[in-house]
Formats: sequence, structure tokens, C-alpha cells
Amino acid sequence: MEREIKEVKHKGRIAQTGIYLGKLFRMFIFQSDWKVLPMAAVIAGLVCFVVGNNLFVTMEGTLLGTFALSCICIWNGFFNSIQVICRERAIVKREHRSGMHISSYIAAHMIYQAFLCLCQSVITIQICRMMKVTFPAVPQITASVLVDIGITLFLTTYAADMMALMVSAFVHNTTTAMTIMPFLLIFQLVFSGGFFSLEGFSLKLTNLTVAKWGLTALCTQADYNHLPMVLLWNSAYKLKDIEINLDNKEEITNTVKDELSDVFVDQEVLNEVKDILVAEGIDLDKPLSNEGAEELNLILKREGIDVQIQGKKPVWEVMHYIEENGMRDELLLKSAEFNQNPSYDGGAFNVLKCWSVLILFIAVFSGLSVISLEFIDKDKR
Amino acid sequence: MFNATDIYSFFSYLICYIGYAYIFKKLGKKMWKAFIPIYNTYELAKGAKRELDGRIQVVLNCIMAISDLVIRFLPESSLVYYIISLFRGTVAICVIVYQARICSGLCEVFGKNKYWVVIWLLFEGLTSLYWGLSKKIQPVITLEEENAADVSGVHVEEIEEGLTINIRERTAMEFFKKKVLLKDLHLTIPKGHLVLLLGGSGAGKTTFLNAVTGYEKADATVLLNGHDLYKEYESMKYDVGFVPQQDLMRPNDTVLMTLEDAAKLRLPGNIDKKERKKRVQEVLEGFGLSMLANNLVEKLSGGQRKRLSIAMEFISDPSLFILDEPDSGLDGVVARGLFEKLRAIADSGKIVIVITHTPDRVADLFDDVIVLAKDVDRTGRLAYYGSLEDARKFFKKDSMEHVLLAVNQKEEGGEGRANEFVKRYTKQMKKAG
Repeated sequence: MEREIKEVKHKGRIAQTGIYLGKLFRMFIFQSDWKVLPMAAVIAGLVCFVVGNNLFVTMEGTLLGTFALSCICIWNGFFNSIQVICRERAIVKREHRSGMHISSYIAAHMIYQAFLCLCQSVITIQICRMMKVTFPAVPQITASVLVDIGITLFLTTYAADMMALMVSAFVHNTTTAMTIMPFLLIFQLVFSGGFFSLEGFSLKLTNLTVAKWGLTALCTQADYNHLPMVLLWNSAYKLKDIEINLDNKEEITNTVKDELSDVFVDQEVLNEVKDILVAEGIDLDKPLSNEGAEELNLILKREGIDVQIQGKKPVWEVMHYIEENGMRDELLLKSAEFNQNPSYDGGAFNVLKCWSVLILFIAVFSGLSVISLEFIDKDKR
Repeated sequence: MFNATDIYSFFSYLICYIGYAYIFKKLGKKMWKAFIPIYNTYELAKGAKRELDGRIQVVLNCIMAISDLVIRFLPESSLVYYIISLFRGTVAICVIVYQARICSGLCEVFGKNKYWVVIWLLFEGLTSLYWGLSKKIQPVITLEEENAADVSGVHVEEIEEGLTINIRERTAMEFFKKKVLLKDLHLTIPKGHLVLLLGGSGAGKTTFLNAVTGYEKADATVLLNGHDLYKEYESMKYDVGFVPQQDLMRPNDTVLMTLEDAAKLRLPGNIDKKERKKRVQEVLEGFGLSMLANNLVEKLSGGQRKRLSIAMEFISDPSLFILDEPDSGLDGVVARGLFEKLRAIADSGKIVIVITHTPDRVADLFDDVIVLAKDVDRTGRLAYYGSLEDARKFFKKDSMEHVLLAVNQKEEGGEGRANEFVKRYTKQMKKAG
């Protein structure tokens, strides 16, 4: 017997996305989901406090700072969504049985998470501004540097968020999700490609991390390769007080008499000091060694003359010379030239390439989330 | 080609296999099977009532054997050698764990202390030889030799208004082996009936319901009011309400919003907003949730939460309404109230099927009972379907709980007579045509 099949249309994918979006925003307002925003502010504040001074100013500060910014993004992204699906997996299964489309459910999460990531990126930028971080002067893509960097932060956060969403869709409970998360986080940080020196296969692996593309985009936007490198100067500054050991190197240095002439400008005082030292048996024509300088200081202190006679400090003398002749900045840029990273070259093109890869990651991760969740009916009871 | 270690391994295995052969004899198996490497582990596991573990162990042993073979041809310093060795080491740990499980099963079958597992793992060859040859060690649990009931071959005629179920078989793959979960279930449930679904744990109650609703498809034909639930699943699924055992709802949403979202999902898309809201209000009132509309789900009591869970499915006014243990965790009075509500739903022209483990307090409300039981092959079979009064006569028991005890396995505290009733009911079905 032929029977009439009742064709009743139910809510389609777009309408269902709206239903779930409403649900998620209700949770955001009335439940604890909004707490991720102040958390993002606190994390950004801490990072800016530690690395903010040299961010976008020097080569090392920029690498360290952009790495820290990438870490913030990945951390925020992971924490936004690592538990969102697995914690309600049984509910999703029930709703799927009642006609819910998995694609609508994931789409609602994608829109909601995009909103969270956007808020977090804006907050991070705002905190950086409040902490007086010097942003690069020239924008690469849009008319504003803040918008450029904001887009990079957003895409990095969102890509990490989608990766965590995918993990949440794959695993069956929150315990497993929270066990996997640290491994992913460490993988992202170690294989970011900028901070740790990697070679061969390990270097190729960096292409698979969100951190690498976020970091590359930020360093390109900061014009990393044309920033001064202060590492050499700072290291030299730490060595400024080191004196050359003059023992057995008599032919190359000052005598005691010469050093005394440099220290005591007043002729009368100079003569008085010379008399004291001669009386103590010091040979004024002998080259001044480090040990000899210490002996002189002790004798003069005993006589109530508080001066510091020092041995030879060639590092300090060179630095002093460079600074006096206005060659410091030139030296810093020269030093940077030898440490440029070709990955951070290419300007706007490179930034766009990084953004495209991040968008590709987002698409792949969200697609995999849908595919894995489509098998939710196979879950064991 | 063979070194001293290989020769030592050969003799170790030989001793072990001789021991296996005598153990197999004690278990009523063919002795020669003990001499087939790898497969003998599976036979041993079957004898130890750990068949699944045995199958896994066979796969693990195959992996071990292949990796052993491969690394023989690799230079020790190569990366591949290192990776395979690492992998082999990981698999070896799994092998030990599964071997321990199988040995544990053997201890149960032979009535020996579980400490023997350690001895088995440390000295497998000598232990198997001792267990095989010792007259003191004999199995205390024997495998059922009874045959499973035949298939009735009956195909029930379709009814116009109601549910027609003809499940021939429902199978699932479990680690490379086909497992029959349900077999030979044929029945019709008329419209307006409240049906009790009874069966011990693992009898296949939820599998049966999932097969009936088309959620997990079986080799079956299921017709609801003349429509094929399998062929028209996408449109018919809204006409079937399934209330799971757990209250699967978002705890941090309100009662009203939970129900409104359920209505948006389950009601037809073209329904007027006003009409939808009206339906939500009706259901809220019908299930006594009006006063709690703005409360969070997490703040509700067990009974209120259960009513909300039922209301979520009832909102679409389904023709077939299925509830998996709706009274779990509820006291007698609340449970009775809930079942009276279900009786009213059935009286309104719906089919309501309910699983409950405490049927007697509400037995008077049911029209029929379906009794599912595991036969000797551990397949879910129909042990009875009919009125509760006839069921009492069929099982010669005065309550449904005693019926349940009669079909439950002995290890579950039951009488273990499932196969007997399945056979008798199948015979009855065949006779009735």
C-alpha cells in the first residue's frame, strides 16, 4: 500500500547556527565564559612588563617580545576552546540524534570563538599601548600598524583556538583534552622556529606550527632585519671593567708615573703622592700591573688619600671612543646585519603569506572538527 | 643462522606449547591447536573466557613477530632499527598486560589464586607444563554446552496504526570479529500502548531501542504507523522521542531556554513563533515546570530534571516515545507520578516504551511487557512479548522483578534460565505462525 510521506521541513543549518550562537552568548554573559577576557589582559600586562621595553625597538627585544606575544595568543586560543565540546559531548550526541547538524554546531562555536579571540587581541594591543610599548612606525598592509598587528594577533589566537577546538572534538572527555594540551603547547613553542635554533627535519616541522607563522608575521611587521642589535654592545658593556693582566707584558703599558699623572691633575698633590710612594719603596718607572694598582690603592688609603688607581681597561676605552665619536648606532646596525633572518624579510608579501597560512590552518582545523564530530553516534554508550 | 638464544627460545616455546596442549585437553579443546604459534594464545584466551583479550594478544604477537623479523635485517646503528626497537618495546609492554589478563582468566577458570598470574608471567613454560600435567589443577568453570535457541523465522504482519518490528539481526564488529548483538525479534505494538521493556544488564535493551528508532540500523524492517523508519529516517526521526538515562542538558542554561531551543530544533521550521511559544508553555505546564521556567537546570531536583529531559523530547509530540530508565534515582512517589504521566501520554494515542529496573511499583500502568534475554551465545533474544498477566503465567512468576531474576545470568544473581525461555517463546512464536 502506497502511503503519503509527510514532508516537514525543520530548521536548516543557518537557523540552527543561530540557535547555538544564542546559547553560547548566553553562557558568555551569564556564566563564567567572560572571564577569559580579564585573564587575557592580565597575561598581556605581565608580558609587556617583562619584555615590553625593547619590543619593536631592538632585534633581540623584538624576537623575545614577539615570541612572548605569540605565546599569549596560543595560550589564549587553547584555553578558550580546549574543553568546550568534550565537556558536553553526551549532550551533543543527544542533540545530534534529535536533528542537530554538526556543521551548525561547529559554525556557532567558530563564530563565538572568533568573537572571543577578537576581544582578546584588542585587549592585548590596548594593554601594550598602556604599557608604552613602542609600535613599529610603518604599517605593512593597512593604514594602521595597530590594525596590522591586531590582525596577526587575532589570526594566531584564532588558529590556536581552532586547533584546541579540533582536539576537543576528537577526544571524549576533559581529562584527555587537558592531558594533550601541554604537549601541543610545548610543540608550538619549541617549533616556533624563531627562538630555538633548529636544523634539518626539525626546521621543516616548524611549518606545521601556528606559532611559527604568527611569530614570522610579527617579526616582519616589526621590520626585524632592520632593527639594531644590542647584544654585542650589551655584552661588551658587561666586560667594560675587565682589566688586562699586565704581568709579563711590560712593553705595552703605562708606568706608575704615567697613571699617577692621569689620576692627579693637581701638580702639588701629584708630587706629594709620588713622595709617599717612593718612601714606601715603589719604583715609579715600573709598568703598572693590576696587582701593583691594588698595592698603590692600599698605600694611598692608609695615608688618607681615597682614590682608585686602576689597571688598563681596553674594552671600556674602546666603548668610550666609539660613543665619543658617535659610532654606536652604526655599530649596532652593522652587528644586526650579520644576524638577519631571511624568513622575516619580504614586507607586506611575507605578512600576507603568514596570514594566508594561518587562515588555512583555521579552515583545516575547523573542517577536521566537523568530520570527527560527525562520528559522534559511534561513541560507546 | 641460528644462535644459542634462538635454540633456547625454541625449547622454551616447545615446553610452553606442551603445557598448553594438556591445558587445552582439560578445557575440552583439541590438543594439536596448542602447537600453532600465536593462534594458540587465542585458544588459551577463549578457554580462559577472555576471547577479546585473546584476539588483541594475537594481533600484538603478530606485530612482535614481524618487527623481530624486520630488525634482524637492519644495521643496529640505523634510525629505522632504533624506531622499530622502540615500537617493539612499547608493544612488548602491551603483550605483558594482555598476557596477565588471559592468565587471570585462566586462574578464574581453574579456581586458582590470582598470585599465579605473576608465576605465569615469570615462568610461562614451566607453569603451563605444571598446570597441564598436574592432576590437582582442573577447571572449575565449564563452558556452556547448551545450544542456542533456533531462529523462529517468523515475520510479523504490519499493523496500520502502531509499531511493527521485524529485527532479523543486529551485528557489530568487535576487534576484527562479527558479534551478534540481537537476533530474531518480531513484534507489533498497537497505538496507545505503554510497554515495559525488561532485561538484565547486557541483554541488549538499549541496542534494541536504538535499532527500533533507526538510530543504529540493524538488518530489520521497522514501520511506524505504516512508514518505514529506516528508509524515511531523516523525516521520521522527529516523530520519535528518545529520553536517555542520564539527564543530558546544559546545566547552566535556564529551563525555559532549554525547552525553547529544543522546540526550535525539533518543531517544524515553518511553525509560527507565537505557536512555538504556546507549545513551550503547554509543555511547561504539562510537566509541572512553569514555576521553574527561569531557574537554571543545575538548580533543579532529580525529579524536576528528569521531567525537563522528557519534556524536551515531548515538545515535538512524537508518535513513538522511548524512555531509558526515567525513574532512576527517583523515590517511589515521584516515580509513580512520572509513570502516570507516561500512561496519560500513551492514552493520548502514542506508543510509549519504557525501560525500568523497578517495574512492580508501576506494573498496573503497563499494557505489555517485552522481555529480552541473553542466549548461550550472549546474543540478545526475545524471551517474551505480551501482556503482563500472560507474562506471569509464561514465566510462572508472580512479579516482573522475579521474571527478570529468572532470565538473568547466574553470575548476576539470577536463575540463568534465559535460554530456556527464549527457546520456549521461539517455539510458541513458530506455532502461532
